[in-house]
Order: sequence, then C-alpha cells, then structure tokens
Amino acid sequence: MHTLLSRVNNASAFMSSCMMTLLAAIAISSFFLGSQPTGEVGISPVKVFAAKGRRHYSGKQDAAFVNFNVTADLAPLFHWNTKQLFVSLEAEYTNMHGVQNTVVIWDKIIRRKQDAQLHIEGGKNKYAFREVSTSFKDVSPASYALKYNLMPYVGVLQYGEIARTSDDVPFPEAQAKVAS
Amino acid sequence: MFSESLRDFRRLGFRHVLLQVLNFASVIASGLMMWKGLGLITNTESPIVVVLSGSMEPAFYRGDLLFLTNPASEQYKTGDITIYRTGDRNGPDIPIVHRVIETHDMPLCAPESFAFTKPTRRQPKLPAQCTDKVPRQLMLTKGDNNYADDLELYRGLDWLERKHIVGKVKGFLPYIGYVTIAMNDFPQLKYALLGGLGLLALIQRE
Repeated sequence: MHTLLSRVNNASAFMSSCMMTLLAAIAISSFFLGSQPTGEVGISPVKVFAAKGRRHYSGKQDAAFVNFNVTADLAPLFHWNTKQLFVSLEAEYTNMHGVQNTVVIWDKIIRRKQDAQLHIEGGKNKYAFREVSTSFKDVSPASYALKYNLMPYVGVLQYGEIARTSDDVPFPEAQAKVAS
Repeated sequence: MFSESLRDFRRLGFRHVLLQVLNFASVIASGLMMWKGLGLITNTESPIVVVLSGSMEPAFYRGDLLFLTNPASEQYKTGDITIYRTGDRNGPDIPIVHRVIETHDMPLCAPESFAFTKPTRRQPKLPAQCTDKVPRQLMLTKGDNNYADDLELYRGLDWLERKHIVGKVKGFLPYIGYVTIAMNDFPQLKYALLGGLGLLALIQRE
C-alpha cells in the first residue's frame, strides 16, 4: 500500500493539482484587474502615390502614406499577469466595391510599465498601406483606431480599443512620384 | 524487484492481464474522446497546439501551449493571432502561429474575380443566386518577431482565407508543451516513456 512509488505518485498528483488551481486563479484574477487606458490619435492629411504593386501584379498600385500623432497612457493595463501589450494603429474604410478593409499601419510591443507612456509625434506607417482594388480613388474616408492586445503570463488574451479619430480622414487624389 | 513482480504477474493470471489491457484501452479512449469533444465545441481540428517556432517572441516561445477556438459565425479581426496551414504543395505542411495585420471583407456572394489580384475599375457583377452564408475574407498575417509579412510563406497564394485557418488563440499556458517537443527531438525518450507506462499498467496490482 505505502510503497515509495505510491507516495511519489500521490505527492506529484497533489502538487500538480495545486499548481493548476493557482494558475486558474491567476488567470481569472486578470479579468478584474486592469482598467480602460486613455489616449488620443491624430492623423495629418494622408498622401497617396502611384507605386509598384504587390507581388504577382506588375502594374501600379496606390500606396498611402500616413503621418500620425499618438499619445496614450497604457499603465492601467499593467498588472501582475501582464506579459506584454501589443499596440496597433489601424485604418478602417470601405472601398468602392463595398469591401470592408482593416489595415494595421503601425504597431509596437510594450513589455514594461515604465514604457507604457506613448508620445509619438510625426510617426510614419510601418507597413505598406495599399488598396486591394489598386486605387484609393472614390474610397470612403478612413477611420483610424489605436487598439491593444493584452498578452498574459497565463490565461486569456484580451483585446480593446484605446482611442479613435473623431473625424474620418479622406484619401486625396493619387500623385505621381516626383523625382527629386 | 523484477523477479518479485514477475511472480506476482504469474500468480494473478491471464484474466488480470486482460483487465489491465482493458483499463489501458479505456484511458486512451477517454483521452481521445475529450480531445475530439473539445474540438467539436471549439470548432477546430486541434483545440490545443504547441508553439514550434520563435516568430511570435517575446509573446510565445517554443513549447508554450495555446488554446484555440474557431467560431463559425465570427469573422477574424486584425490583431487576432491565428494558426494557419496553406497546404503542402512543395514542402512540409507545418501549422504557423502568426498575427492578422490586414482583413478585407468581401460583400456577400462576391465572385472569384473579386480577389483583386488584377485591377478592376468596373463594378463586377454579382451572381444571380448564391449560397454563401458568411462573406469571404482575405487576410494578411505577420509574425510579431518577423520584419516582413507572410506573403512568402503562402506558397503562391495572394491572401490567406478562412479555409486555411485552424483557429485563433484564446488562451495561453507557458512551457507545458515542451514535453512534446522534447519527445520529438529525442525519440528514445518517447519510446522509453510509452514502454514504461505500458509495463507499469500491466504489472500493477490494482
């Protein structure tokens, strides 16, 4: 009955169930910790150029260039179960064919509470911002939103929105690249 | 020790061995049932996956465990972390864990030519009747730790679509999955573990 093997078995089973309970408690606690962060997004007038297309398509495809200002205080999202924050600036618009587009133009990973204050002025889009139908002509003005994804040490991933532009930003007429 | 257990084994007889085999089979069957049941609830072929590469560091490391869901009624959104497979046309079919950075939701029943690989200035005609329930969605993904997006990983496809996606990450548990990586890297460990478990199940008295 009380062999070494059964003792080891019992002890390790008890330890692993304690561990699981603790992990579950931590995972559940993160639903109650943390509060809504505050921030602001400002977009300067967007520029559109006729550029080289995406792969497989050799023709021209419009590329938009966005300058933005972002201020945000993300410290409220940091608690004991916050491993990192993934913050992204996204453009949302509908094109002339009725296709709804959401495109991430900039992102940042924040790992420490000390770095949770964002002050970005004159930021540029990090990823190419192209329209699937190749042209931004007759496309509805875009709304820009700053969003976060909280990634925990253990538990459920949480998503949310920090700020959004109050007015939609229109796309201008495409200009040919000026040789400088 | 071994001679003793061998004697026990002989004493308990054939029926005992059969019973133990049955117990072992029921353990395996209930494990399989739980796995498949979870797959039914979450609507994915594999509700739990192990991270195999470092392309999502520092969020997910090799050996972390991810819990997936794939609700049929929900569209994917930017920021979702998806697991996708693009088929094995030329190379191994390894599932990839990356984040969605672009979504393009087609209108309901948009024809195939709506994929926008070529420019279309004219409004394409929609078919008279269609059976689509969920709009088609074109996606682009990128690993947080990679510099470029995943276009090169799609093996000739222009966009990722719902049919390629196994599920999106809902929950996270660190390190636990490293056991399976260790077993894949050192097959001897796998055989030793399986053999040991089988032997224990056979010679245990209760």
